[in-house]
Amino acid sequence: MTGMRGLSVFISDIRNCQNKEAERLRVDKELGNIRTCFKNEKVLTPYKKKKYVWKMLYIHMLGYDVDFGHMEAVSLISAPKYPEKQVGYIVTSCLLNENHDFLKLAINTVRNDIIGRNETFQCLALTLVGNIGGRDFAESLAPDVQKLLISSSCRPLVRKKAALCLLRLFRKNPDAINVDGWADRMTQLLDERDLGVLTSSTSLLVALVSNNHEAYSSCLPKCVKILERLARNQDVPQEYTYYGIPSPWLQVKAMRALQYFPTIEDPSTRKSLFEVLQRILMGTDVVKNVNKNNASHAVLFEALSLVIHLDAEKEMMSQCVALLGKFISVREPNIRYLGLENMTRMLMVTDVQDVIKKHQSQIITSLKDPDISIRRRALDLLYGMCDVSNAKDIVEELLQYLSTAEFSMREELSLKAAILAEKFAPDLSWYVDVILQLIDKAGDFVSDDIWFRVVQFVTNNEDLQPYAASKAREYLDKIAIHETMVKVSAYILGEYGHLLARQPGCSASELFSILHEKLPTVSTPTIPILLSTYAKLLMHAQPRDPELEKKVWAVFKKYESCIDVEIQQRAVEYFELSKKGAAFMDVLAEMPKFPERQSSLIKKAEIVEDTADQSAIKLRAQQQPSNALVVANPQPVSGAPPPLKIPSQEPQSVARSISQPNGTSSNLDPQAPSPDLLSDLLGPLAIEAAPGAVSTDQHGPSGTGGHADEVDGSAIVPVGEQTNNVEVIGNIAERFHALCLKDSGVLYEDPYIQIGIKAEWRGHHGRLVLFLGNKSTSPLTSVQALILPPAHLKLELSPVPDTIPPRAQVQSPLEVMNIRPSRDVAVLDFSYKLGTIVVGAKLRIPAVINKFLQPLQLTTEEFFPQWRALSGPPLKLQEVVRGVRPLALPEMANLFNSFRVTICPGLDPNPNNLVASTTFYSDTTGAMLCLARIETDPADRTQLRMTVGSGDPTLTFELKEFIKEQLIVMPMGSRALVPAAAAPAPAAVAQPPSPAALADDPGAMLAGLL
Amino acid sequence: MPVAASAIYFLNLRGDVLINRTYRDDVGGNMVDAFRTHIMQTKELGNCPVRQIGGCSFVYMRISNVYIVIVVSSNANVACGFKFVVEAVALFKSYFGGAFDEDAIKNNFVLIYELLDEIMDFGYPQNLSPEILKLYITQEGVRSPFSSKPKDNKPVPNATLQVTGAVGWRREGLSYKKNEVFLDIVESVNLLMSSKGNVLRCDVTGKVLMKCFLSGMPDLKLGLNDKIGLEKESEMKSRPAKSGKTIELDDVTFHQCVNLTRFNSEKTVSFVPPDGEFELMKYRITEGVNLPFRVLPTIKELGRTRMEVNVKVKSVFGAKMFALGVVVKIPVPKQTAKTNFQVTTGRAKYNPSIDCLVWKIRKFPGQTESTLSAEIELISTMGEKKSWTRPPIQMEFQVPMFTASGLRVRFLKVWEKSGYNTVEWVRYITKAGSYEIRC
Repeated sequence: MTGMRGLSVFISDIRNCQNKEAERLRVDKELGNIRTCFKNEKVLTPYKKKKYVWKMLYIHMLGYDVDFGHMEAVSLISAPKYPEKQVGYIVTSCLLNENHDFLKLAINTVRNDIIGRNETFQCLALTLVGNIGGRDFAESLAPDVQKLLISSSCRPLVRKKAALCLLRLFRKNPDAINVDGWADRMTQLLDERDLGVLTSSTSLLVALVSNNHEAYSSCLPKCVKILERLARNQDVPQEYTYYGIPSPWLQVKAMRALQYFPTIEDPSTRKSLFEVLQRILMGTDVVKNVNKNNASHAVLFEALSLVIHLDAEKEMMSQCVALLGKFISVREPNIRYLGLENMTRMLMVTDVQDVIKKHQSQIITSLKDPDISIRRRALDLLYGMCDVSNAKDIVEELLQYLSTAEFSMREELSLKAAILAEKFAPDLSWYVDVILQLIDKAGDFVSDDIWFRVVQFVTNNEDLQPYAASKAREYLDKIAIHETMVKVSAYILGEYGHLLARQPGCSASELFSILHEKLPTVSTPTIPILLSTYAKLLMHAQPRDPELEKKVWAVFKKYESCIDVEIQQRAVEYFELSKKGAAFMDVLAEMPKFPERQSSLIKKAEIVEDTADQSAIKLRAQQQPSNALVVANPQPVSGAPPPLKIPSQEPQSVARSISQPNGTSSNLDPQAPSPDLLSDLLGPLAIEAAPGAVSTDQHGPSGTGGHADEVDGSAIVPVGEQTNNVEVIGNIAERFHALCLKDSGVLYEDPYIQIGIKAEWRGHHGRLVLFLGNKSTSPLTSVQALILPPAHLKLELSPVPDTIPPRAQVQSPLEVMNIRPSRDVAVLDFSYKLGTIVVGAKLRIPAVINKFLQPLQLTTEEFFPQWRALSGPPLKLQEVVRGVRPLALPEMANLFNSFRVTICPGLDPNPNNLVASTTFYSDTTGAMLCLARIETDPADRTQLRMTVGSGDPTLTFELKEFIKEQLIVMPMGSRALVPAAAAPAPAAVAQPPSPAALADDPGAMLAGLL
Repeated sequence: MPVAASAIYFLNLRGDVLINRTYRDDVGGNMVDAFRTHIMQTKELGNCPVRQIGGCSFVYMRISNVYIVIVVSSNANVACGFKFVVEAVALFKSYFGGAFDEDAIKNNFVLIYELLDEIMDFGYPQNLSPEILKLYITQEGVRSPFSSKPKDNKPVPNATLQVTGAVGWRREGLSYKKNEVFLDIVESVNLLMSSKGNVLRCDVTGKVLMKCFLSGMPDLKLGLNDKIGLEKESEMKSRPAKSGKTIELDDVTFHQCVNLTRFNSEKTVSFVPPDGEFELMKYRITEGVNLPFRVLPTIKELGRTRMEVNVKVKSVFGAKMFALGVVVKIPVPKQTAKTNFQVTTGRAKYNPSIDCLVWKIRKFPGQTESTLSAEIELISTMGEKKSWTRPPIQMEFQVPMFTASGLRVRFLKVWEKSGYNTVEWVRYITKAGSYEIRC
């Protein structure tokens, strides 16, 4: 780099630029200069080339686009001297990525460097491959890199790079390493004495083992050996000792690799590994030096994971817990956080439960830590360690904490408290107490599910009802209570208020007045509940209390005209019902018991956990499918579902198990509830998701549970039969008829696709454009559109792309040419695939006869000669049409105009008649004048006489039939009517034209009149 | 009256505040930081002269190497703000002679503060006329060495009377040995032409500049060959209008000295001029524009790496006239690597920082033509092939004694009580505005 004056001048120029604009000008100037130099026929000297390529790199680093000169950069790789080669490698790895074609040119040169003798070049090449090597590199270079790695003649420096380079190649293309041959070599590599090479090799091993642990089982004892070697601090050179810890990186990697093996069978290996782990556990302590702490803790926590993974003896586990207990009492927040987090992980190993309990008070103290992440971990841990024995304490603690917790945590906190209270309630009245307290303390953060659940419990347990009612009554005495509290107490008092009737202050009218006090303060969704409660109170008031009745009726009356439909309906219905005596009693009888089912709260907690900050454990589990978490047997803690959800159970696997034809589906949560019964009952209060919304949760790793029914709904159907099970939006026939009269609009729509159409018509040519819009978020594949043209139309549809990307629209033009008049309709056979769903539709294309008409307004002088020239059938046809939908004359005129048959006003002296004209275009007939006359009967609008004439018999007939169809059928109506109504038509035509009919010809009469 | 500014800042190109003045309390002192971070340091700077950040609007313009930023928080009159800035800059220039740039500001802090105090009051613009202000802000600016010497100070009559009087723009008792009037008509032609030679958009904006050195209180009357004036004249004199070209002027605006009542009734431009230099009127013309140059470009892309450019420029003004400083900028793709030119006149070179071939011709006589033909080699690129957008060819020029609109001064009459003789000088010049030809 030294001595390149041009480069340093350029850089100092750039640095001297006053502003961005000046810099850009300078860069553009330089780029122009470089382009000129690269383009020159004269061969550049290596020095110049090197200089310009450095400049390019500098410009690239400044953020400007450098999209040329890659060729020069790549060619520098093959330069013989180090400075040129170096810049070639550096610039190539900065400017290119693995998908660039240019890299293919470089492969051979890079290979030459790798197999060459020059160590420096080998290192440069390996670095490049490690940085950007893609699939191509993996295929052609992997064997050479492997050779370098295992060769004994190379220096450790090269072998280190080779190991990392191989790791990269393996990640890009797992086939790069042949499992059979390589396992032995890997084992040999782990015998390496040089710690640097060993560390790189272990990185490679971790990747290999995560992919296929069986093949590399021979490496297991070697890893243990490495750990032993490090733990005993044998043969560790000074430079690999970090704050007295022998190569912590290697230790962590070796232990990480060990976690990928399911278990260790060999007892002696196991024993020696446990010795090492024991040593690590014992030997780690919190010290002053941050770096030492970090290193030793990294090793320690990896060891803890390994201990958990290996399912060690109880003694060792409790030793771990004891160690963690020490950690959570330390002042340093990072260490405390790690301690809490790891304790939560330990919880999954069931038998440490009791040991952890010893630290309960310490954990509760952590709940008051100033650091929110620590508080969260403590909350998680408390939630996880809770069981019947300590539930009371913990829930109380949580309730106390609730009033001081910050807002972001309160919802989660209240939800967790509610769940714990439900799961471990020693008696139900305690549960009700807790929940009411909860609502009282953190009403804003109590989701509806919580109070729904309380209501379910109370309804299902008769003994609880009076207690709950009296508790609710107590809370109502408070001056300011939360709205949720109003809801609960209103509901409970409405149902069970009568059970308290004998207590003082609890008569129906008293209850009413105390509840009614709250009415002005509540929001709309609560009012319906209150109204129901009033009605129930009224019903329970025995004997009838006219005073109360009057008051309640007044309330109902007041809400009869409420703007909210739900309130209005309830008010009106209750009012009417309350006058009905016996029926009133029936309708408002006590609520039936709810079916037992999984708590919606627990379901919700799972979702919350999923969306809430993902704990490190879960992240780890997602990044690498370590068996550590999956294998550990998640025995339900005290018979409740595990607090921490097991990852890796994806909905797909659930679906697969269900779709097996028999049996298996029955063991999957038979309760599978409809979203929420209670919320159904509560009508508008149903904030819980509707079925449609629930299905969006399918992707959440919800395990089994409430979503099973949705999953099985789609999974149980065999793939092949899933055609046309999408719901079409709108009526296809209606859309077609609308498009017959318009030139653009929607032809077809379902939840995934929308087909719009836009048409232009000129003479007998037409140009339609189909707009295929993918509405879904995944691509539609196998899209096919075929046109089935009728004989009279020539249609050319340009090919439709096979795939429509998500949220994209493709256009597909369709050329239409009309050969002769006909009313037949072209059909578009359209199909596509979305995932496994195949959807097909046959759609009529709105290229109907009237599209080839051109409006034409004729004057009297033009009209009559033409009209007279058409002598009679088959050029001029007349028919009396019955069953016409009644239309006023102007409306009919509009209808005619809408299909481009122009009404010529004032031509016919009779105001009840319409005279119309138009031009028809087709290939055979050319432009053809068409005339029509409609005579209506003002007395009976359902019948009319129609005369249509043109220079072509087929055209006359087709046009007449078309107009008839339009007049009989509501254009928006169902198409099914058409054949029925059109049926008499051929008969009418079949009649031989009689002279009488000729005499009746209104045209002739008209002409006579004039 | 609308508020024009709550504060005004003068920044250099790096965004340092050179000088500022706050007129109202409704904007914070740190607003200029918002301008610096949200506007100056983004690419927005050149795009939009008015930006809203938070509750404040920033109205800014760049004059040489200074950004002038007006900050307002209320619903201000933006046009008034811009006009204020333009006038203020003209005022500063007249105080410190010629240049207005960073150095000039640094040299004249005190004067600028004094002026800023005077020209705006609580956000409302005040008198910005240099002639008046010089009556009572008598401090001299530090002049740049190249500007002309100031004239010697004259005794100041009653300034208040002067400002509030009927002819606020002219002092009484001026006297010159030689009474002279200079009149310049400066036009700039804007053109957008399609590659086939169709005129897509064409207009001329012109102004009439005057420099008067007249004694006493003279009354001037200017006659142009514009349509309304001529018609009115022929009507008044009840004789048919003279044949010859008449020009239809759009959007005429006058200096405040022009007597508008007389213009409305008689359609004549009569005025008592301020002393020295001023802009008498501005106008615009959209029809009957005489284009001074025709450009015939042919640009062929031969494959991916070669291009051929052929540009012919024809001057269509009178053969006796000539254009000066003709520059034709022919855009080329960004990946241009090598260029080969052949020109009949002038010089051409490739300028990579604006991606143009720049062809300069110092003197271009009328009724002649010259051509440039160039072969361009492009370098192949890695990026996806973006087709070149073919920006329009741009042209710059000046043609003295030519008006694109055809406007001519028919007469300029001067009356004064003493009845002295005056010498009138008239000059015409046409410049290129945005003169673009698509290729």
